[in-house]
Amino acid sequence: MTPNTTVCPRCDAENVRVLTTSPVPGRWTMHVCDTCVYSWRSTEPSSVTDPPAYPPEFKIDPAEIPHLPATPAVPRRR
Amino acid sequence: MAYADLREFLATLDRSGQLLTYSDAVDPEPGMSAAARAVANLTDRGPALVFDNINGYEPGRSRVVLNLVGSWPNHALMLGLDKDTAIKDQFFEFARRWEAFPGPVERRDDAPWQEVTVGGGIDLFRLLPLFRLNTYDVGCYIDKACVISRDPDDPDDFGKQNVGIYRIQVKDKDRLGIQPLAAHDLGLHLRHAEERGENLPIVIAIGNEPVITTVAGMPLAYDQSEYEMAAAIQCAPYPITKAAATGLDVPWGSEVVIEGEIIAGEREIEGPFGEFTGHYSGARRQPVVKVHRVAHRTDPIHEQLYIGKPWTEMDYTVALNTSVVLYRQLKAEFPEVAAVNAMYTQGLLGIISVRQRFGGFAKAVGLRAMTVPHGLAYCKVIIMVDDTVDPFNLPQVMWALSVYYHPFYDTVIVPNVSVLALDPSSEPAGITHKIVLDATTPAPPETRGHYTQLVADPEGTAEWEDIIRRLLG
Ligand SMILES: [Zn+2]
Repeated sequence: MTPNTTVCPRCDAENVRVLTTSPVPGRWTMHVCDTCVYSWRSTEPSSVTDPPAYPPEFKIDPAEIPHLPATPAVPRRR
Repeated sequence: MAYADLREFLATLDRSGQLLTYSDAVDPEPGMSAAARAVANLTDRGPALVFDNINGYEPGRSRVVLNLVGSWPNHALMLGLDKDTAIKDQFFEFARRWEAFPGPVERRDDAPWQEVTVGGGIDLFRLLPLFRLNTYDVGCYIDKACVISRDPDDPDDFGKQNVGIYRIQVKDKDRLGIQPLAAHDLGLHLRHAEERGENLPIVIAIGNEPVITTVAGMPLAYDQSEYEMAAAIQCAPYPITKAAATGLDVPWGSEVVIEGEIIAGEREIEGPFGEFTGHYSGARRQPVVKVHRVAHRTDPIHEQLYIGKPWTEMDYTVALNTSVVLYRQLKAEFPEVAAVNAMYTQGLLGIISVRQRFGGFAKAVGLRAMTVPHGLAYCKVIIMVDDTVDPFNLPQVMWALSVYYHPFYDTVIVPNVSVLALDPSSEPAGITHKIVLDATTPAPPETRGHYTQLVADPEGTAEWEDIIRRLLG
């Protein structure tokens, strides 16, 4: 199977780019999703690189992200 | 006995048969994490693991160290003790050395991590063999680095300079996510910086001798210096060197020194991350670090900690520093406290041995543990045993629970009190009931039970323990 390079396995956004490549050329590529900051390596098992195989309890809906609690909260300027 | 750096400690582990180097090729995931999980599953006397042939990195030049202090022999060697030193003896030695706090620091300007400096074009993934620790972690984390910061309201106070361990998500080549909880010292520094509208300079120092990372995980008071505590625990001055850009004090022996800033006012999605409770903590919006500069040794070693369901290396590194903190705080008010074993999930469960002053005394000591500073977030289950029971010897503790604990008389439940939000049983997160299970012998005016005919050890048992130990060699 060709490693997934276009859709985020976790949030299904098509907002993916190459993060970096292996120092020894040609061994692996890492991708990152700029919507949910999930990253994966081309050598990893399909359970973490393939969107349909990613377990539902770990998926996230991009619409939820702005509403996640901020920890710690940003304090007021003095 | 002090170790100058990680490499010196690795050499000692190797000489003591406590280091395993694996030189067959491994992919970054999931082999190294699985190996660290496996060694923790197999034994509490296991070795540290070194991987030096990681797919994508130059063999021999990129190394990962895991499970550095992940066993009792390695913990004893960290303290410069014989590797077979019993846990209880390591506990009392740790408590004794604390008395020398604050120890001296030694300022040096010739740190080996000054060898190579990278100011632009930083790519942390190429510099270090970063890897995903647990299957559903959101990405690669750095989770055993010393994070150093100062209080922007009091930048010259050496004691308020903090060295802590925080989980750090590597989000991009030079951009990180960090988790400074409001109650942590780094959280307080960030709060002061953000109130001033300033970024907070920090250093992330990777690959250290084990004492500073152990002390960095210790619940110290806000103005107590981790370097001065490390000096006390290692019985020698602690060497530090100033980082060039931030001026923060960094361990002299580190492998990699990352300098950057937490960006004021910025929060971005971080997590999930497999935590020490054995459960993932979900996604939150958390602060972000911009990396400006990296200094490192030639071919730096990446030391990392596998974390997950106990026991892992995390449990060994916080076992005694948590227990000794509780011991000292309880002992100050109740000298009858003999020892404290709070090494289960960072002290969510603890066992306290005590000589009862009068009936009900042990229950009072157990309740007090819940209201010392560390107890506010931990100490959900406290088991009280007599001072004749070794709280580090679980068969003895189970014996005490089975024959001294009476469910009707010896249970105290405290409803709706605080606990760390990461406790997956808390409801709502951060609130729980707590319980004292009193397994001490009833003392007057309590006279219940039938405890007058205790079967004592046959005469000469202690001598025979020595004889048999000698014969076993
Ligand atoms: Zn995504």
